[in-house]
Amino acid sequence: MYRKQVRRRRAVLALLIISSFVLLTITYGQSSGGLQRGVSTVFSPLQDAADRALKPARDLVDWFDKTFDARGENSKLKDELEVAREGAVAGQTAIQENAQLRKALGFNRSPAMVESGLDPVGARVVARAPIIWTSAVTIDAGSDDGVRPNDPVMSGSAMIGRVTSVEGGSAQVTLISDDSSAISAKILPGGIQGVMRPVIGDPEELILDYIETTEPIEIGSPVVTSGWEAQGLESRFPPDLPIGEITKAPLLEQEASQQVRLRPYADLPNIDLVQVLTGGSRR
Amino acid sequence: MIVTPRITVRLVLIVIVGVLLQLSFFSRVAVFHTSPDVLPALVVSLGLLGGSMTGAVTGFSIGLLVDCLMVTSLGASSLVLLSTGYLAGLFRERFEIHSALVPPLMCMALTLFAEIGYAATQVMLGIDSTVSFLIVRDMLVKSVYAFFLGWPIYLLVRRILRPALVEEPRARRKRRDPTVLGT
Repeated sequence: MYRKQVRRRRAVLALLIISSFVLLTITYGQSSGGLQRGVSTVFSPLQDAADRALKPARDLVDWFDKTFDARGENSKLKDELEVAREGAVAGQTAIQENAQLRKALGFNRSPAMVESGLDPVGARVVARAPIIWTSAVTIDAGSDDGVRPNDPVMSGSAMIGRVTSVEGGSAQVTLISDDSSAISAKILPGGIQGVMRPVIGDPEELILDYIETTEPIEIGSPVVTSGWEAQGLESRFPPDLPIGEITKAPLLEQEASQQVRLRPYADLPNIDLVQVLTGGSRR
Repeated sequence: MIVTPRITVRLVLIVIVGVLLQLSFFSRVAVFHTSPDVLPALVVSLGLLGGSMTGAVTGFSIGLLVDCLMVTSLGASSLVLLSTGYLAGLFRERFEIHSALVPPLMCMALTLFAEIGYAATQVMLGIDSTVSFLIVRDMLVKSVYAFFLGWPIYLLVRRILRPALVEEPRARRKRRDPTVLGT
């Protein structure tokens, strides 16, 4: 009797392990389609309800965490504010100059979003992947709202990722800090191009890889999507969506591994509200 | 554990509520830059109370549900959590749980095991990006959170599954010796 029980137990365990490996093999690098879509559709209202119900508790925990963090960040932020103030003054001058030059050249380009015919759709994050190896969130806007796979997703004015899967009322967004993410980007103002890759485990750091320059890159230079287009192929992202700013660019690392470090503008671990840029020609 | 249809319903509800809480709450709060992962602790509690089969099956189900909801490759989380649940159950079948510290310690140790398991699965599947050393800190902090969250989770799950637990010690009343008259 006991032996029979043990045998049955082992059989169940073996079946579960084999099932896991079979599922992993079948769905590696892609979704299982029907099953995941079905489960997501069924659980979407539940996730939405849980998100709303748990928001006060989440805010409370965030408040404690941010209060603790704020003590250490105060002096750092004062320094940053000083730099930002200088930047803002310079920016105002540049905007004025830009307007004058545009007028002089009869060149009236609209911003990236308007130019690409993109229509922003607001959404809320309702779930987040529990493991650090996967950077993905679920949002409460889906195909019913016009969201399509590969639509870029913004948080504030910064790009945070792209839509990878869509259901009726929800969509999954793979963040720029996910292992599968690789975005062609450029450093402003020079336009040095590279491929932006994540650093797994550190959502506050990204790497701009494969850059081809021996010129020193200035710390604090903004990095935006390059939105290339060549021989009928085009990047999934429209050009000039802000991503982050350069934080480390030692010439040695730049020459040896052709890469520099940057910090994303968006606070990737604490995203709550997002905008999906729907429409446009890029798919 | 005696698994009746009513207990199965309770187990299913524990799995669903646990996953929803993790995805909608625990994954979205960061204390000291790390989000707690209560799913291994939940699986460990189920394993400690129900044995290796309950641990393995609920671990597999929780992993599958998480992978379905986050639309990632199916099977990775299932594999890690079923091993976690099985080990917790095996511990329960081999050893007596004498101390109240055993469940939180098991939650801590097996959460670390699960985090290492996730890392191993990712390595197996291939990583194209640079991996930060911060990932080790994340694993350790998650294990510490599991120690503190493990005990309330264990108590809550034990309360929900109480009718099915075979070895659940009943509240003992101190028996008074009968008074013998005439002595």
